[in-house]
Amino acid sequence: MLSFIGRSVIQKTITLFFVSIVSFLIIHLAPGKPSQVNPMNPKFTPEILERFQKEFHLDKPLYVQYLYFYRGLFTGQTVSWKDNQSVFSKIWGRFLNSLPLFIVGTLITWTLSFPVGIRSAIYRGGIYDRTTTFLSYLLISIPGFFFAYVLIIFVVNHFHVPVIGMETFGIANSSIPHMIMDRIWHLLLPSVLGATGGIAILSRYVRSQMLEVEGQDYIRTAKAKGLPPDQVHYKHAFRNALLPFVTMFGLILPGLIGGSVIIETIFSWPGMGRMAYDAILARDYPVILTVNFVSAVLVLAGTFVSDLLYLVVDPRIRL
Amino acid sequence: MDKRPKSHGTPLLRVENLKVYFQGDGKRARAVDGISYEVHQKQTVCIVGESGCGKTVSALSILGLIPSPPGEIVSGKIFFSGQDLLKLDEKTMQNIRGNQIAMVFQEPLTSLNPVFTIGDQLGEAVSTHKSMGAESLKRYMIQLLSDVGIPSPEQRLNDYPHQLSGGQRQRVMIAMALSCDPDLMIADEPTTALDVTVQAQILELLRSIQQKRSMAILYISHDLGVVSAIAHWIYVMYAGIMAEQGNSDQIFRSPRHPYTQGLLASLPSLSKRGKRLYSIPGSVPNPAYKPTGCPFHPRCPHTISTCRKEYPNMCDYGHGHMARCPVLYEKREHTE
Repeated sequence: MLSFIGRSVIQKTITLFFVSIVSFLIIHLAPGKPSQVNPMNPKFTPEILERFQKEFHLDKPLYVQYLYFYRGLFTGQTVSWKDNQSVFSKIWGRFLNSLPLFIVGTLITWTLSFPVGIRSAIYRGGIYDRTTTFLSYLLISIPGFFFAYVLIIFVVNHFHVPVIGMETFGIANSSIPHMIMDRIWHLLLPSVLGATGGIAILSRYVRSQMLEVEGQDYIRTAKAKGLPPDQVHYKHAFRNALLPFVTMFGLILPGLIGGSVIIETIFSWPGMGRMAYDAILARDYPVILTVNFVSAVLVLAGTFVSDLLYLVVDPRIRL
Repeated sequence: MDKRPKSHGTPLLRVENLKVYFQGDGKRARAVDGISYEVHQKQTVCIVGESGCGKTVSALSILGLIPSPPGEIVSGKIFFSGQDLLKLDEKTMQNIRGNQIAMVFQEPLTSLNPVFTIGDQLGEAVSTHKSMGAESLKRYMIQLLSDVGIPSPEQRLNDYPHQLSGGQRQRVMIAMALSCDPDLMIADEPTTALDVTVQAQILELLRSIQQKRSMAILYISHDLGVVSAIAHWIYVMYAGIMAEQGNSDQIFRSPRHPYTQGLLASLPSLSKRGKRLYSIPGSVPNPAYKPTGCPFHPRCPHTISTCRKEYPNMCDYGHGHMARCPVLYEKREHTE
C-alpha cells in the first residue's frame, strides 16, 4: 500500500515534468506573441515593447524562459502580463466564483443520472425507458447556448427573477435572506444547464452498465435464491455496475479548474473558464500555463484518487 | 441402481408437456418443445443431452427464471408439491425459490457475486426465507460450510469468491443451495467447469448430502459417465424433446433410442482402445430451424421415410422404460 503510494507519486511527478515541457512548448508554438497582441495600441511604442520584453525575459532563449516561469510558479511569484497581478490570487478569486457552479452542477448530474439510468435499465423497453432515452438524445442534440436562451426567456418571463451574473447589482445593501435567495436564483440556471448534458450522457452510461451487469450469472444466482427484486437490483447488480464510475468520479476533479466558457459567457459569470479564455486571447502566458499546470496536477490527483477508491470498492484489487 | 419405485404416489415435481419458445429476429426458437418428466422424493433424476438441447431452459423454467422477453413459456404445467408453479404470482415464486427449490449453476466463478463476501452471499437466502438472529446465522453458515467439506469455514466467511479455488466455490454454491433445506435441488452441470478429481469429490458430496437430507436432486448433465454414477432415473433429451427415459440399467444396458445408442457408442472405454471413437454425425439442430418429423432423423442411421414426416410417439418397453422411436420398437417386435 505504502509502496503503491510512493511509486505513483514518483510516476506522477515525472509525468508532470513532461507535461510542463510540452505545454510550455505548445504555447510558444502558437501563432502571435504577447507583445503583438495589440500593435495598434498607441501606448505600445517600440521602447515600451523592448522594456516589456526585457521585463518578462521574452528576449531570452526558450529554455531560460521555461526555467524563469517554473521558478516563478513554485515560489508563487508569477504575475499576469496583462495587469501585473499575482496569477495565484487571480485564479483563486475566479476559482471561488466557479466553485458553486461546479458543486451544484456535479451534484445535480450525479444524483439524477443514477436513479434515471438504473430505473430505465430495470424496466428496459418500457415506457419509462423509452421516454428517458428520447429525452437524453434530445438534450444531447440541443446546443447548450440555444437551450440556455430558451430557459432564460422562460424563467425570466414566468418567475420574474434575475438570472444573469452572479448577483443582482446593489444587492449587498439588502437583508441577508434576500441576498441568499438572489444568489440561489442566479446559481440555478447555469448549474442546471451545465448538468443537463452530463445527466443525458451519464444516465445512458449508467443504464448500459446496469444492463450488462443484470445479464451476469450472479444475478441469476441471486434471483434463484428467492431474493426480492429490490435486493437483486440495488444490492447485487448496482454494486457491480458502480465499479467503472469510480474511475469517472476521480476524473471530475479537473473540472474544478476548467469551468465552462460557454455557460459563463452566456450568464456573464466571472469564472475560471472565461478567465482562461481571455488569457488565451491576450497571450497572457503565465495565466494560461498556470491554469494548465494546475489542471494537470488535478488530473493526476484524480487518477490517484480513482485508484484508491477502486481499492475500497473492488475486493479483487490489491495493491 | 434400483428400479424406479412405483409406490411413491404423487411425484414431488411433475412437468407436463412444457413448451418454452424464444422469440428473436422474427424467428421462433423452440428450445423446449413439449417435454414431460417427474422427480420423486429422495430421488436423483438426471436429464442428459448435448449442449443446446434445452436442458438448462427446462430447469430455469421450473424456477420461473426464463429471461422474458425473449423467452416465453408457451404451454405446459409444472406441478411442485401439488401446485402449478406456472400459475403462481411472482411474490409466491420468490418464496419457493431458494427455499423449497434451490439451484446450483454450471460456472461457480461467475455465479458468485465478486464484490460480496462468501458469508454475505451464503446467509442471504436464510435471512430472506427464515428468521434467524445474526449470531445463530453465523453458526449455521459455519456448519453449512463444514458440511460441504470446506476447511476452516470460519475464515472462509470473510473471503471473497476470487480467493477460493474452483472446487471450493462450487461447494459454496452447494452450501448456498442447501441453506434453506430445500425439497428439491436443481444442479445444472455443476461439475462441468471443474477438473476430473474435483468433479468426483463434488459428486460424492452431492450423493452423501442427498442421503443425509433425503432431498430430491434434478441433475442436468451432458456427461453420461457422471450420470451413470448418481442417477436413479434418467431422461435423455434431444432438441427440445424427450428421446428416452429409464433407469440407468435400462439406459446403459439396452438403450432403445438411436440417439441414446449414439451417445453411448461415443463414450471412450478401455475395450475401444486404439480404435477410432464413434461420433454421431452432424450436430444438434438450431432450435429455430428444426427438421420436421423426428428431430433426430437427419443424424439417425435407422431413418425411414415416415421419420421425416411424422412426429414419433413414445414407445413403452415396460418398467417405465420408454423411447421415442417407433422404428426401433417395430424392429424389436420382429426380432423377438
